[in-house]
Amino acid sequence: MAGQIVREWSGIQQFPLATQTKLLEYLGTLKQENVDSLTILVMGKGGVGKSSTVNSVIGERVVAVSAFQSEASRPVMISRSRAGFTLNIVDTPGLVEGGYVNDRAIDMIKSFLLDKTIDVLLYVDRLDAYRVDTLDRQIIKAITDSFGKEIWNRAAIVLTHAQLSPPDGLSYEDFFSKRSEALLKVVRLGGRIKKQDLAFSMPVILVENSGRCNKNESGEKVLPNGISWIPKLVKTIIDVVSNGSNGILVDKKLIEGPNPNEQHKWWIPLIAAAQYLLVQKIRGLIKDDIAKESKAAWELRDIGAAKRKF
Amino acid sequence: MVSLRPNGVYTKAQLQKELETLATCGMFERVDLEGKTNPDGSIKVTISFLESTWQSAEKFRCINVGLMPQTKPVEMDPDMTDKEKLDFFISQEKDYRRRIDRARPCLLPTPIYRDVMKMLSDQGKVTARSLQKIRDTVQKWYHDEGYACAQVVNFGNLNTKEVVCEVVEGDITQLLIQFQDKLGNVVEGNTQFPVVWRELPKQLRVGHVFNIEAGKQALRNINSLGLFSNIEVNPRPDEKSEGGIIVEIKLKELDQKSAEVSTEWSIVPGRQGHPTLASIQPGGTVSFEHRNIKGLNRSFLGSVTTSNFFNPQDDLAFKFEYVHPYIDGVYSPKNRTFRTSCFNSRKLSPVFTGGPGLDEVPPIWVDRSGVKANITENLTRQSKLTYGLVVEEITTRDESSHIAIAGQRVLPNGGISADGPPTTLSDTGIDRVAFLQANITRDNTKFVNGAIVGDRNVFQVDQGLGIGSKNPLFNRHQLTLTRFLQLKNVEEGAGKPPPPVLVLHGHYGGCVGDLPSYDAFTLGGPYSVRGYNMGELGAARSILELAAELRIPIKNTHAYIFAEHGNDLGTSKDLKGNPTEVYRRMGQGSSYGAGVKLGLVRAEYAVDHNSGTGAIFFRFGERF
Repeated sequence: MAGQIVREWSGIQQFPLATQTKLLEYLGTLKQENVDSLTILVMGKGGVGKSSTVNSVIGERVVAVSAFQSEASRPVMISRSRAGFTLNIVDTPGLVEGGYVNDRAIDMIKSFLLDKTIDVLLYVDRLDAYRVDTLDRQIIKAITDSFGKEIWNRAAIVLTHAQLSPPDGLSYEDFFSKRSEALLKVVRLGGRIKKQDLAFSMPVILVENSGRCNKNESGEKVLPNGISWIPKLVKTIIDVVSNGSNGILVDKKLIEGPNPNEQHKWWIPLIAAAQYLLVQKIRGLIKDDIAKESKAAWELRDIGAAKRKF
Repeated sequence: MVSLRPNGVYTKAQLQKELETLATCGMFERVDLEGKTNPDGSIKVTISFLESTWQSAEKFRCINVGLMPQTKPVEMDPDMTDKEKLDFFISQEKDYRRRIDRARPCLLPTPIYRDVMKMLSDQGKVTARSLQKIRDTVQKWYHDEGYACAQVVNFGNLNTKEVVCEVVEGDITQLLIQFQDKLGNVVEGNTQFPVVWRELPKQLRVGHVFNIEAGKQALRNINSLGLFSNIEVNPRPDEKSEGGIIVEIKLKELDQKSAEVSTEWSIVPGRQGHPTLASIQPGGTVSFEHRNIKGLNRSFLGSVTTSNFFNPQDDLAFKFEYVHPYIDGVYSPKNRTFRTSCFNSRKLSPVFTGGPGLDEVPPIWVDRSGVKANITENLTRQSKLTYGLVVEEITTRDESSHIAIAGQRVLPNGGISADGPPTTLSDTGIDRVAFLQANITRDNTKFVNGAIVGDRNVFQVDQGLGIGSKNPLFNRHQLTLTRFLQLKNVEEGAGKPPPPVLVLHGHYGGCVGDLPSYDAFTLGGPYSVRGYNMGELGAARSILELAAELRIPIKNTHAYIFAEHGNDLGTSKDLKGNPTEVYRRMGQGSSYGAGVKLGLVRAEYAVDHNSGTGAIFFRFGERF
């Protein structure tokens, strides 16, 4: 997107002062590490709150959101810059259509991201959903197959609709913990990640995008556990970026995947040689079969092998 | 022994003849025939005899006097002096000794010798009756073992300690191959003699003893040539040689040329599932064969099949093949056949079919036309090795017969997009490829009372040569192992029940290098995983299929239970475009069920474990 003038992140100014201060502080730490831009990819099922989260972070209604309308049909990238730092957020269409993973959506997202580097993946789901099923695992698998296992080293789970009253008998923390565990398990299974890998310690962030969100004394949006979530979200994103892993460059090779037809091709002469030996071995076995074949008495007597026994 | 019957009327000459026969048969020392007239005019005949006896013997010996002239009994001159008589006896003995030396040993085994010697020692004196018993014992053994032309012709060396039994075993002196026409008249045949002669077991050649089992084997071998409508293997005595047998092989040749036209109407499910004719216009096949060219079992076959006789260019499949056996020469013990053919076929691709969730997947038709040439080496009657070259052009088409370069996808909103997995390696819809193909089959199966038992292993390789569209270089290989394990020892024989059999079967297929979708391995189907449609479980670069079936004989057929599993080993994604995922297939699946064999049809109930539903299927032929 070189040559295009990126709009000023003016939305930052409508945050309460406390939030603004923290955000600018975090941007400062990034600049110290010579990071002057971030590309954040937001993915998840339809209707979980991806576009709302994008709007909340940018501070403007950049993406159209409506309670009953189906969402963006194609990926869209929102770029804003502030103090020499550019923030790119990519909002995507929902990954599920008709009860199945929407391959076309994934293909569209991949082509859209050609030659861009994903710094952070935000996998969005709702806090107030109770079940995790095969479909969730299939979505994780599809993301893993498309971008590689490494993307989970640069990922965070975002749980929207976080201002909820937990069901009877469970405290808010317990509910959050159980929901996080369930999702982390699905990510581990679907992404085939081993326990000792980095992604197991993937952060889970709570988010409440509605206007009804409670505010603290400083006017910041807070959750039932008292945490002001916008700075927390940005801080977590920055932590993920600084955790030592690499961003995912979406090049042509990644999009098309390793060409399975070319893999291991140079093995072919060796394989053919081994097969030739196998064929000769089986031929030898067949010769043995002929020799071992039990002959009838009349044949044996004729060739003198009966030895007068019968 | 006596041919006179009560209430019969006989002339004096007949009675005289009867007496002579009894007297000269060698069993009796003296025979008297006395007739007394009864008051009512009938004659009471009394035959009194004195059985010949010789001194008891301790030893028994059997010699093969086939092809030797018979000994003629020498008349003793009654006027000889005692000394002359003694000399006579000694020279007789010497002559006989020489005869025994010249004779060949016979095939009689030690246990029979022991039986006979026991008989002799039990009897005491050797009588004519005991000689008869020995003759019956010896002949019974020969005939039971299949030596149908064997005969005891004489006993010698009687009155010594060793009884000698002279046997003619039935040595083959001549082998005749005769061709007959439909009416049985001898004609000059088209088939060359060496073609028939090489199918005969060694035991039927001149110099061997004729055995009916060898004759049966010859019949089976000659029958497998497929050249004759009737085959007879008959022994007859050779007049020119004492005890010799001429084996006559009489053959009626099949017609060399044949042409056939067959038409068919397909019955398919129509509206509301009622069976209807697929189309009023019949399809069918025209085929012709020109067999046994030059009498060396070479043949040229051709067939053309269409699904619409009235508009054949719609859908035409043809095959022309030339088969040339005995490429190493008809006298060579090696049995190698050269085959070359050009073909054209059209099949629905199971790679582009949907899983249980998708109902309508636009099908892709794969047209293959090309030529192939290969050599088959028949290593045993069942095991063989084939190797050769295939050059073919593959075209992928959609339902309307337009060339399709990719499968079609059904979009979530119901629309159809043509950006599914690519159908060809060249992405143009037409691929040309040349590759080497080899197949070795090791088949040790046999039938035990009608049930197949043993094992069969097949290894097949297709080696791409880098010749063709996009220079395809690949090595596509398959290994199939099938074991039919007999679970209980049973007595073999006609009408006896077959044993229960456990069948274990595994099939692995893999490919390294360029793999277009039309050559991918598919899972699901009656010969892959029963209970699923062809390709319903997916298409992948390598697959593994496992099956087990337990066959239990009931009445005069068998019932069975089975379990099967097919797995893509995670290689569905290694097929360009991942058709398994695109068409929502599982990639693996199991099934289990039971069935019964009714004649040629198998009726079985199979449960699809992925969906948990079962269905009844009727299938022809064998699963393994």
